[in-house]
Amino acid sequence: MSTQSVFERAATVLAGPSAPDTPRAVWDALRTAGALPPLDADPADLVALVGEAGYHGTPAPLAETLLVARPLLAAAGLAAPHGPLAVAAGPLDVVFAHPDTGNRVGPPGAGGTDDAVRVSGVLSRVPWARAADAVVVLTEGPSCGPVLLLLEAGEFLRVEGTNLAGEPRDDLVLIDAAVPAERVRRIPAALAREAQWRSGLARAALIAGAARRCVDLTVARTGSRVQFGRPLSHFQAVKQEEARLIEEAALVDAAVGAAAAALPTPDTCELPAWIAAAQASASVAEITRIAHQLHGAIGFTELSRLHLATTRLWSWRDEDGTEQAWCRRIGRQVVEGDPLWPQVTGG
Amino acid sequence: MLRQQVRDFLNAERAAGTILGRPDSWLTGWDPGFTRRLAERGWVGMALPREYGGSGRGNLERYVVIEELLAAGAPVSAHWVADRQAGPSILRHGTEEQRRRFLPRIAAGQCFFSIGMSEQHSGSDLASVRTRAERTGNGWRLTGTKMWTGGAHVNDYAIVLARTDESADRHAGLSQFIVDLRDPRIRVEPIRLLSGEHTFNYVHLEAVELADDALLGHAGDGWQQVTGELALERSGPERFLSTLPLLIALVAELRRGACSPEQHARVGRLTARLASIRQLSLSVAAALEAGRPADVQAALVKDLGTRFEGELINEAREILPVAARFDATRGSYPELLATAILHSPGYTLRGGTNEILRGIITRGLEASR
Repeated sequence: MSTQSVFERAATVLAGPSAPDTPRAVWDALRTAGALPPLDADPADLVALVGEAGYHGTPAPLAETLLVARPLLAAAGLAAPHGPLAVAAGPLDVVFAHPDTGNRVGPPGAGGTDDAVRVSGVLSRVPWARAADAVVVLTEGPSCGPVLLLLEAGEFLRVEGTNLAGEPRDDLVLIDAAVPAERVRRIPAALAREAQWRSGLARAALIAGAARRCVDLTVARTGSRVQFGRPLSHFQAVKQEEARLIEEAALVDAAVGAAAAALPTPDTCELPAWIAAAQASASVAEITRIAHQLHGAIGFTELSRLHLATTRLWSWRDEDGTEQAWCRRIGRQVVEGDPLWPQVTGG
Repeated sequence: MLRQQVRDFLNAERAAGTILGRPDSWLTGWDPGFTRRLAERGWVGMALPREYGGSGRGNLERYVVIEELLAAGAPVSAHWVADRQAGPSILRHGTEEQRRRFLPRIAAGQCFFSIGMSEQHSGSDLASVRTRAERTGNGWRLTGTKMWTGGAHVNDYAIVLARTDESADRHAGLSQFIVDLRDPRIRVEPIRLLSGEHTFNYVHLEAVELADDALLGHAGDGWQQVTGELALERSGPERFLSTLPLLIALVAELRRGACSPEQHARVGRLTARLASIRQLSLSVAAALEAGRPADVQAALVKDLGTRFEGELINEAREILPVAARFDATRGSYPELLATAILHSPGYTLRGGTNEILRGIITRGLEASR
């Protein structure tokens, strides 16, 4: 076991019929196996691990914690709690706890000599909020400019909801909650942008994993299901569709791989991450269409495991930004920025 | 940095008025002068070792150069097959004498090759070729008709796939030959494209006498040799960049005026797909460089890439609708659109039809399970 990498150990924990089935169990199992990635883990390994979570539909916020919350907290100079973390962004009302004293938000704490900010508003459909030890929130601060807040459970009311796959997507209601200064940081605008593309990349990595699951389930299905005396995979019409499914999943994987390779230098990762997010979301329609078509009727019942992947894909493609939103950003940068080809080749 | 050097060279060519920015330039942009200027900089035959006149820089650096040339729509078709297939194939399968005879001239941009694989009845089903090579006293006699032979009317040699053993099974009885296209017993007959351009030909081989040293590799190994070449032929950047000059022209038009969110989104979507396909293509180049088999991956890139080449045209028409005009100013958006449209049926045919390649993809995946 000692020769295995953290990634390999983690992949083993997430696989199989006895894989942990609650967020807490996932964390405990990873910790017990020595498979919880350290804060300084290779970013490409983290992306690969999130892909595994996507493949297995792992019920825990691994993508949010590893690829978004922890790097943001580190960049903002805050210590990351050990457990699962959620991430939310949104307009909130943020005011100083003691506005009369004339204090200004300033580093390192948000409040200067002030001891807290007071926060009100609703963060909607926050992934895994009910399972998280803390929620990383990006919003506008009281004296303009973005701030990062670390909320702890108990500082908000929670209205539980789910996405199409039954994954937790809770609304968090903050009513004049006091967040102490040591959990508030002003952040540069670039980090606020990084929060967005990190979320997009995290979701794309999950999509790449679930797309791979669709391919595996479909190839197994068409290879074993016999109709008219031969396996489905022997029919030309089936081959044509199946190849397109394989290709579309490979395309997402390539886009995510390129962004993962760029992650160690976040300054040049923005466009590759946008592209991964856009391509992942854009490919979902084709991947889910073909996988269901080739599964036949059984695929859209609970008798098949396919729905575990496809319902997630349908949800994930619209969370953290739709393909339309990602494509608009890319297109604007291509039309208004440097010429297209140097952007595609990265310089 | 290599990429920047190529861009500087291309900018100078652009300033000199060489024809650049053409869709499908690797098929129709035949300019031996351009090829020689490239070769002077060491950018032809880059995957060939120095001892044979190449620059020995390998497939990944070669990839950088050729994708820059294609993105610029540079006239590269003269040396395209020599650089991509004939050179590497002679290096791998040829005799020492063949290497010394051909490779330095390929790398110097002075020796151009055609592919003599397809025939009228042998397109995607390459093993059904009917061209025959019979043993003679001191060599071979080649008889048959090749089809879709690009550049045979202007190039120097063709590597011809022929049946050498009728009794062997359809894959085992094939061999490859290096044939001098200037041989008087070779008759080249044009096949014009929809655009009226002449790039393809029939090549009638009328009892062409070949010396022993025309055989490339071993008799009977033709199928394996050809299959190896096809991975090179299917995965390269020419499989997704044929219509990139059209997208570049479109973006240049959009830069001039107000661009709507819808136009931004559509350009962004094309860019994301382009960049993703490029990553897949790069991964195949890396696999080939490392000596790993990549037939299935290459087929996948070819299907995705060539479909993208066609999709780009339809997207362009919706993003910026104009009437395509073959008679518009050369290099203008309506003229590039016309050229791309008239060439478009070829994208998903050449290099093996996509429908057949999809069979390779599914078989490959099932076999790997």
